[in-house]
Amino acid sequence: MNWRLILFGLLAAAQIAVPWRMIQQSEHVLQDGELFRFKTEPIDPADPFQGRYVWLRIEEDYVHLTEPETDAIDYNVTGYAILDTDPQGFAYFSTWSTERPTDHANYLKTKARGQAVRWEDRPQFTNPGTHKRTRVHQGLQIDIPFTRFYMEESKAPRAEVRARQAAREQDCWVEVRILNGAAVIEDVIAEGQSLRDLARQGL
Amino acid sequence: MEDEGILSAESRSRLEGYYANQVAASTRWATVAFAVLGVLLIGGGIILLFAHNWENLSRSARAVLSFCPLVISIGLSSFAIRRGGTSLCESAGLFHSLAIGACIALIGQTYHLPSNTPGFLLVWALLIMPLIFLLPSTGAYLFYLALICGWSGAAQEEYGQALGFWLLLIPAIIHAVRRVATHARDGLLSLWGLILMLPIALGIVLERTVPGLWILAYASLLSLSGLLGLRLAPAESGWRNPLLTVGLSGITVLTYLFTWQHVWDDIGWRYISYDGGHQAWGIWIDPALTAGLATAWALAAVKGLRHASLPSIILCSFPLFAGAGFCVATYSGSVLINTLLFNAYMLALGLAYLVQGCRSTQLRQVNYGMAVLGLLLITRFFDSDFGFLARGLAFIAMGSGFLATNLIMARKKQQLEDRQQ
Repeated sequence: MNWRLILFGLLAAAQIAVPWRMIQQSEHVLQDGELFRFKTEPIDPADPFQGRYVWLRIEEDYVHLTEPETDAIDYNVTGYAILDTDPQGFAYFSTWSTERPTDHANYLKTKARGQAVRWEDRPQFTNPGTHKRTRVHQGLQIDIPFTRFYMEESKAPRAEVRARQAAREQDCWVEVRILNGAAVIEDVIAEGQSLRDLARQGL
Repeated sequence: MEDEGILSAESRSRLEGYYANQVAASTRWATVAFAVLGVLLIGGGIILLFAHNWENLSRSARAVLSFCPLVISIGLSSFAIRRGGTSLCESAGLFHSLAIGACIALIGQTYHLPSNTPGFLLVWALLIMPLIFLLPSTGAYLFYLALICGWSGAAQEEYGQALGFWLLLIPAIIHAVRRVATHARDGLLSLWGLILMLPIALGIVLERTVPGLWILAYASLLSLSGLLGLRLAPAESGWRNPLLTVGLSGITVLTYLFTWQHVWDDIGWRYISYDGGHQAWGIWIDPALTAGLATAWALAAVKGLRHASLPSIILCSFPLFAGAGFCVATYSGSVLINTLLFNAYMLALGLAYLVQGCRSTQLRQVNYGMAVLGLLLITRFFDSDFGFLARGLAFIAMGSGFLATNLIMARKKQQLEDRQQ
């Protein structure tokens, strides 16, 4: 057999193996991973390669750590954010570990991105009637790997409008399966139904 | 002509052979172009058909469909390897290159995977790289060049460095060298792709920790390119000698940039950047890269100087002037000397081309020299505080100069042709 064809056979096997492995990993997480719900607010942008998607701004995109604990963690370092669930059933990241947890699979492998802060207008007691912008420490900011929900070109902007309305009423969340550090989106729910069904119904 | 004794029978058959080859070559290129266009249209059509029903398909159906373009392209490429033929190999290479990217992107979309642009471009580039050699396909090679150039930009943005670009460049250089050696016409296209991509990628890959080092790196790279062009194809110019054309045009652009004062502001070792956007080791890598390019240029210049021609003098002298300018700006901080130096260099460059063009009656060189001079004079006029009257008169004088020179040159050429006839 022609040596070029043999080498080409090896190349073709590698070319099929790469996307096949992507599918296998994602399916494994979807089938065996635990389901978590994250409160979210969607925004509609586009990717030059993969097309139109709804960008999910996850509310709890930080680990609940104190300011000194956050400062002790290097920027850009890889670690494991451990998941927990609040009384309403929404997920949040409770702790951070530099070692891969061995006793359970509910953690996300990610990178630390420094302090997560929010700014609040708080009333000034010394000068009644005025407000002062105050910095509030939230925890350790992390990279969230499930921020893209791909949709058809014409439906993504429509879905964004409906989902933003739902997000205002705290009625929008993303369902994510998580297993051993990997996360795969299962669906985005707004107004009690899938974002895809919602977009199909129109405005 | 054969009957009248102008051509011998042997000359006639040689001429017939020559024109038959020319017609065959142009037909071959038309076939390749149509084959490539056809493949692109079919590929686009398949993707649109998928996209039409994409939302209604199940996840597993979408995953399976994502593989379809890749499987078809593998079949087409294996057929092309067995059958051979430029048009088949080129269309298979291009379709295969697109299919790999489409397959990975579609699976990423199906499973809502997070975007990792440098990772995606790197995997795509690595998976198409062997196709360049196995098919072989210039289309796949050009695609690979675009991908590694894109990867260098994305990696610089994401990881803060893209040094791996130089490793990824090795297969591209090997392909271009082999192609130039075996297929002159395809080799030209490969060389054009490489030499146009290199200056873009160099700008991205340089860490810019030492401000102004790009001046030396670019001067060396472009001069080296021009000298290699002169050495490998001394009789060729224009599009038939991409290394020389890009080298000389690049030097003209750089010379023009160097006539501006702000290029020389705050450069050198005293202004090293330490902030988060720069890698600490950039202080070693950038000078090493620049030193490598400068050494390669110096070696080529030593050989290039043996043939005293205007291009070789420009290509051998330019990095020396750029180096002197960098040293002056670094150690004395005086930028005025550099701007004066490069204004003078650009003036000399324009005049040299003008004079040489007039002597050898080459209208292209005359116009190039005039364009360089015109650009310099117009820019300096807008740059300076001259009145409208002075600017107007100068522009009229320059325009008249252009027209008069062209007219004289055209007449001179006509006289020469008449005399030859």
